[in-house]
Amino acid sequence: MVDAALHVEGLSVAYATRAGWLKALDGVSLSIPPGGVLGLVGESGSGKSTVVLALLGLLGPSARVDAQRLDFDGHDLLHNAASIRGRRVGVVFQDAAASLNPALTIGTQVIEPMRTHLHTERRAAWTRGTELLDEMGIPRPAEVMHSYPHQLSGGMKQRVGIATALASEPDLLLLDEPTTALDVTIEAQILSLLDELRKRRNLAMLLVSHNLGIVDRLCDSVSVLYAGRLAESGTTSAVLHHPRHPYTKGLLAALPRPDRPHAGRLAPIPGGLPDLHTLDPGCNFRPRCAFAAEGCEQPQTSHGADHTVSCHRVEEVADLSWPIEAAPTATVSTKRTALPLLEAETMSARFDSGGWLARLLGKAGGVLAVDRVSLSIRTGEVVGLVGESGCGKSTLGRLLLRLLPARTGTLRFGGGVVEAQADRDFRRRAQVVFQNPDTSLNPRQTVSVILQRAVQWFAMAHGTAAVAAEIDRLLDLVRLPRHYASRYPHQLSGGEKQRVGIARALASRPEFLVCDEAVSALDVSVQAAILNLLRDLRDELGVAYLFISHDIGVIAHIADRVAVMYHGTIVEEGPVEDVLHPPYHPYTELLLSSVPLIGKGRRPSPAQSTTAAKPVTGGCKFAARCSRRVGQICDSVTPPLQQAGPGHTILCHIPLLELAAMPHWLGQQALSEEPTP
Amino acid sequence: MSVLAMPRLRVPSPLALGGTLLAVIVAATLVGIFVTPYDPTAFSVRVRLQPPSLLHPFGTDEFGRDVLSRVLAGGHLSLATGFGAMLISLFVGVPLGLIAAFHRGIVQEVIMRAVDLLIALPPVLLGLLVLAVTPPGLGKTIAAVGLVYIPILVRLTRAVALGLLEEDFVQAARARGEGAIPILWHEILPNAWPPIIVECGLRVTFAILLGSALSFLGLGPQPPASEWGLMIAEGRDFLTQAPWVCLAPGLCLCVLLVSVNLVGEGLREKLDPQLRGRAHG
Repeated sequence: MVDAALHVEGLSVAYATRAGWLKALDGVSLSIPPGGVLGLVGESGSGKSTVVLALLGLLGPSARVDAQRLDFDGHDLLHNAASIRGRRVGVVFQDAAASLNPALTIGTQVIEPMRTHLHTERRAAWTRGTELLDEMGIPRPAEVMHSYPHQLSGGMKQRVGIATALASEPDLLLLDEPTTALDVTIEAQILSLLDELRKRRNLAMLLVSHNLGIVDRLCDSVSVLYAGRLAESGTTSAVLHHPRHPYTKGLLAALPRPDRPHAGRLAPIPGGLPDLHTLDPGCNFRPRCAFAAEGCEQPQTSHGADHTVSCHRVEEVADLSWPIEAAPTATVSTKRTALPLLEAETMSARFDSGGWLARLLGKAGGVLAVDRVSLSIRTGEVVGLVGESGCGKSTLGRLLLRLLPARTGTLRFGGGVVEAQADRDFRRRAQVVFQNPDTSLNPRQTVSVILQRAVQWFAMAHGTAAVAAEIDRLLDLVRLPRHYASRYPHQLSGGEKQRVGIARALASRPEFLVCDEAVSALDVSVQAAILNLLRDLRDELGVAYLFISHDIGVIAHIADRVAVMYHGTIVEEGPVEDVLHPPYHPYTELLLSSVPLIGKGRRPSPAQSTTAAKPVTGGCKFAARCSRRVGQICDSVTPPLQQAGPGHTILCHIPLLELAAMPHWLGQQALSEEPTP
Repeated sequence: MSVLAMPRLRVPSPLALGGTLLAVIVAATLVGIFVTPYDPTAFSVRVRLQPPSLLHPFGTDEFGRDVLSRVLAGGHLSLATGFGAMLISLFVGVPLGLIAAFHRGIVQEVIMRAVDLLIALPPVLLGLLVLAVTPPGLGKTIAAVGLVYIPILVRLTRAVALGLLEEDFVQAARARGEGAIPILWHEILPNAWPPIIVECGLRVTFAILLGSALSFLGLGPQPPASEWGLMIAEGRDFLTQAPWVCLAPGLCLCVLLVSVNLVGEGLREKLDPQLRGRAHG
């Protein structure tokens, strides 16, 4: 590895905190050959981003950086990163919206690196910038050069971010979660763009991500980081397809796979990250490891040459898989019936822009966020709602809870009509779990107060003792220790906060829960535990869920039925096994083909147009982006609702037979796979 | 590796420090209503504009009156103006701000436009409006100054509450079917306090200064009353010859400001479970 472009050996980083030195990285070694792509994976807090900042020399004065070797193509990055930062080393951050200056035009920002590093003349730089935008697949680059960041979509902003990083012709590109903030379809486009770039320019890349799927899609080799130490590194196929370190095994076992719907329970990794103030001389994953044994308290050495694993039991656990969490032995009440619990008919929601004055003058604009959607959910059934951001998923969830005023439509619940001003009985029976565990709990209230307010509001218990008993029952239900009642939200981990949020929703013993991206903000190991919990609660309590998520893997794992939403309309609905396989709606196909799957390798990227044209009124809303347009009819005539099977409907002009002939993006074998109970 | 382990000094908490200072000031001014070293209004031509000495620790003013006695005797007027006006703007402004944030639409428009109207008038002019029609007095000064600062509290509270109303825990309360009062009282107000408290601390001192400006215009407590602002205004003419006449009430005002802000800061920490946990751990 003499000619490695990037060489990192024994990189350690510590931050000065009030409690002493926090060791964010401990002896991390990486190397990337010219034109190679290394994936750096790990959960939040594992130190991934610290690696990127250390390479850029941007850690700030409160950090202490040590390394035996930290250089790029002969340049010492430890002491002199600033000399080549932005010039030989480009960087793309997660939030493209935040990394572009809203007050400057795109052109000014793209040519800036050329002006400062290459001293290019302004006119030449502008021409080069336009070419770069064109190379990034941005339509009408000359116009975009003159526009401002807010005029571009998220995917376009990220393309501009990449163009800016490449403007000074770097040899190494650092990508810090470059697609995490993007929709799966846009993510697929950015990934194929990056793949093309590395081939065309022989660019070395470091891809930092928590998403194992995109790492599998893009990277030659992978390093798995856990709490500041490398657990495992090797080629992508070796690490992700035949993981040897227990942590990697755990991460993969915790991941819900869209190609394996209803694949039984997931395997969460118990516990949380260790305290990084005091370093564990032994294996720092030991407290959470399912295979921990004698010798784990000894310092671990890396085994293997090409595929290094920092675990002394690597040979013994080679053939073992991560154990799956045992199901509780509670009485299972499968109250699933054929009767609909909730029925929404042609419900719409509209968001007006402009104040009351504009409305009075008739100048107010607005968007139809939900367009005449009908949906029914049976008792004890889990309906998944999937779609890109801004498609109206959350708005529909709120409509079904009567938290937003509906423009049209009726809502029936348990046989009765729910008025626009919902009564307390409906509020008791229909509850909600939110996405962000940090904002869903009042920071000024203890867990006990949070739960008590719900218990008392619905008069579920009377008297201090009865309320306390009820709180204990709720904490038991979500598998939290009872003494957590006296804690404040900031004293809980993300997963624990989410459990409290679920307990609060369950306080009124509801029959229906809207889970609005309830696991999206959690790390994969914690997400698995919450998904298992939600599934158990469904079985124990017979609660029906509307499970809103952008993650098809999660939906495939938990849902009985799926509704696919595009621009306020449900374009396809049916049992999860049917929706994931042809015949499907062209939009469903696009979603499924965009999901980065582990083990499917580098698939041809799906054909789609990069321009997100405004959906036309009258015709099919997806027509502008559809790769399988029939013709003029798509723009002018509302597509018919076709019956593709029992309970499976597709809103499309294309004949069913043709839809059925589409490729199986998730693989054929999944169809025959028996759903394990 | 505790190279950087910071030395742990026993620093008194801001609440204790500010509270002690404030208590001393309040006690001194309360005592000063009844007992002072000299008669605060007694003229003594022979000791005009004396610098601070053992006999007159804060010196004397242009009529030979003892400045210390005047500061002690007039302090309660300043404190009453500051805290009274702050309480008025707090008790009127915070509820209005909460209501404006919760009820978007016409209610908000009415409240916020009324507030804009109040802001549009210069504070002194607004004070003049209230005070001009009737004979001046302490109570009316307090009311006028309180009125001037209501818009600031309304706007601040509304801005904080608008952000909080978007939070998921408020959505959870809405999903339970809770109305305006339980949501505002249990979910919004406990989280909105910190900036409001800090603002109130500032308002106390601003109110004292505005009160004295009104006094200066002859619309507050009248000479020979020794309200601090009035004293600063009167001492201004001798600033070069006898700076202590201004300096003494000015420094008292300064100490009061620091102590009120320390108490505000201390309360903010006390009310925040996150900061509280850090202090203990």
